[in-house]
Amino acid sequence: MSPTTVLLMMTVLFLAFGYMGVPVAFALIAGVLAATAFTQISMQSMVGQLFHGIDSETLLAVPFFLLVGELMASSDVAHRMIRLSQTLVGHLRGGLAQVVTLFSMFFAGISGSSTADVAVLSRTVAREMEKEGYDRAFTAALIASASTMANLIPPSIMAVVYGATGNVSIGGLFLAGVVPGVLIGIGLMIYSYFWGPVGVMKKRATPTEVVIAARGAALPLVIPVIIMGGILSGWFTPTEAGMVAAVYIFAVLIPLLNRKHVVELPRDFMYAGLLYSLPLAAVAGASAFGWMVAYLRGPDIVAVHITAFAGNDPMIIMFLLVAMFVIVGDFIDAVPAIIIFMPIIIKLTEVGNINPLHMGVVIITTLVFGLITPPYGLSLLVASKYVGVGFGKAVLRSLPLYVVFFGTIAFTVMFPDIVLWLPKHLLPESVGCFKAPGTAAYICP
Amino acid sequence: MADFRALILQRHRQLKWKAFDPLEAALMILCGVCIAMFTLAVLLDVVTRTIGAPWLWLQQVTTAFFAWGVFIGMAAATRRNDHFYLTEITKRMTGGSRTAIEVINRLIVLVVAVLLIWCGTQNAILDLGSYRMPSLIPLTVYTAIVPIMGVLILLFTIEQLVNGWKHGFEGPEDRDDSREAIL
Repeated sequence: MSPTTVLLMMTVLFLAFGYMGVPVAFALIAGVLAATAFTQISMQSMVGQLFHGIDSETLLAVPFFLLVGELMASSDVAHRMIRLSQTLVGHLRGGLAQVVTLFSMFFAGISGSSTADVAVLSRTVAREMEKEGYDRAFTAALIASASTMANLIPPSIMAVVYGATGNVSIGGLFLAGVVPGVLIGIGLMIYSYFWGPVGVMKKRATPTEVVIAARGAALPLVIPVIIMGGILSGWFTPTEAGMVAAVYIFAVLIPLLNRKHVVELPRDFMYAGLLYSLPLAAVAGASAFGWMVAYLRGPDIVAVHITAFAGNDPMIIMFLLVAMFVIVGDFIDAVPAIIIFMPIIIKLTEVGNINPLHMGVVIITTLVFGLITPPYGLSLLVASKYVGVGFGKAVLRSLPLYVVFFGTIAFTVMFPDIVLWLPKHLLPESVGCFKAPGTAAYICP
Repeated sequence: MADFRALILQRHRQLKWKAFDPLEAALMILCGVCIAMFTLAVLLDVVTRTIGAPWLWLQQVTTAFFAWGVFIGMAAATRRNDHFYLTEITKRMTGGSRTAIEVINRLIVLVVAVLLIWCGTQNAILDLGSYRMPSLIPLTVYTAIVPIMGVLILLFTIEQLVNGWKHGFEGPEDRDDSREAIL
């Protein structure tokens, strides 16, 4: 059998098994093992690849950022940040919709998990939104869309996985995600202001109320400072920053702000332990799948097709990749998608002479969009379930919000200087800059 | 809605044998132990490095707990039907077609589990001769979890196949889920 045929068979088997209802991790493993039977590779080494796929210290950041999100969601500490958001933007048109978006921006700076964000908002603000007359479908659509920022604004689990598998600076990806993350937030706020439900108009909070709310939220809002401060100062790796944030929450935040929750901590750990294994089981399967894609020269095959159309033009290559990942993100979870397609991404980054960090943030921004698109929009699925509305209705209400994501993706592709401004100034090495001999200045490509 | 944080998930109860409940509880506790232990290990790593007396072997302890946690969680998620799915299409099916698809899905998982046990055991035996530096821990300590996980997945899949065949795969939760999806 030719490599292309084996590649096609492996992909078709994975999708067929996956859409029949086999768990993603097993569908990936089954597809790979079936393909292995038609190659010179032994089954034994492919099973070994499952282990090697997760045997990475960098991936340790994933459970820490999930643990942080889980602890914040279950300990009810997050409501202090909701209160702060209410005093800041609650008086605007569509006040609670604005609160959802602003809170998600704050929460994105603490947790790297979109589903933790959805859980917090669905348990709290969603109920108030219903009382104020917002329809459930809009509530679910907005919560899911806003939650996607958790994967762009640092810390981000997708950035950790991308950095670990693509050998790109995770700190750089964190910083590069800020601009698209904030753009999505601003876009959602503008949409809610002009075209969203009106809600109940409230009085603007007094400066005293804002100060009181800010004081209440001060302790949770230290977490982004710990994470990014630790990484940028060189004190911690992203993994260690995640650990410090988790320890800060269960050793300082919860005892000070919600002492009753201390007895629940063992349960939080058990559940977080289960939660982190789910994406990483998919990572194990996807890394074997990605390895086989590379072995079968998949990147060369795809690169030939893409360059036949785009030549070496970086912009066209990126837009073609965006189109591909919009489709991929509709059907496959982002984490396995990153790992499976990484050999292809690396190849095309070389072909187009694209900055790997720029390519990374474009791919992550595109995959984030997949969290709210059918049939596999994980955030929208979870939000519609929590809010209690049909997935189809939530999808319909999400359609206008897609414009925000298309605009952000286009901006990220077309303006690399703005997107990479933060990493270039705070982590110059991450964008390929190097120190000029004998001075403290950097020379950048 | 089922309590997803419960030690033993009551969702799809008809697919479970009571005898395996303690195993599910033990796996959940081990998930918590693994994440707690590697949190502690990374904390100690940072502390010992900061005070200028790093314990280099801590990184190996960390990755061991991390990897074990992933595979233990994978086994627990199999019993709890908690894995990531591309679609939940089977939940909207009933009767014979539902049974057929559910059986095929579990047979695929069963084959994967058998391969994980067989190839994983061979790998683990081979790894007895390889060591991680600087702790000199045999690589088998890490990779032995793959066949162990395979055995657990095999057990849980057989449990679901037998019970699903006897009592049907459809549970009351699925009816709620599909109603929500249609609305």
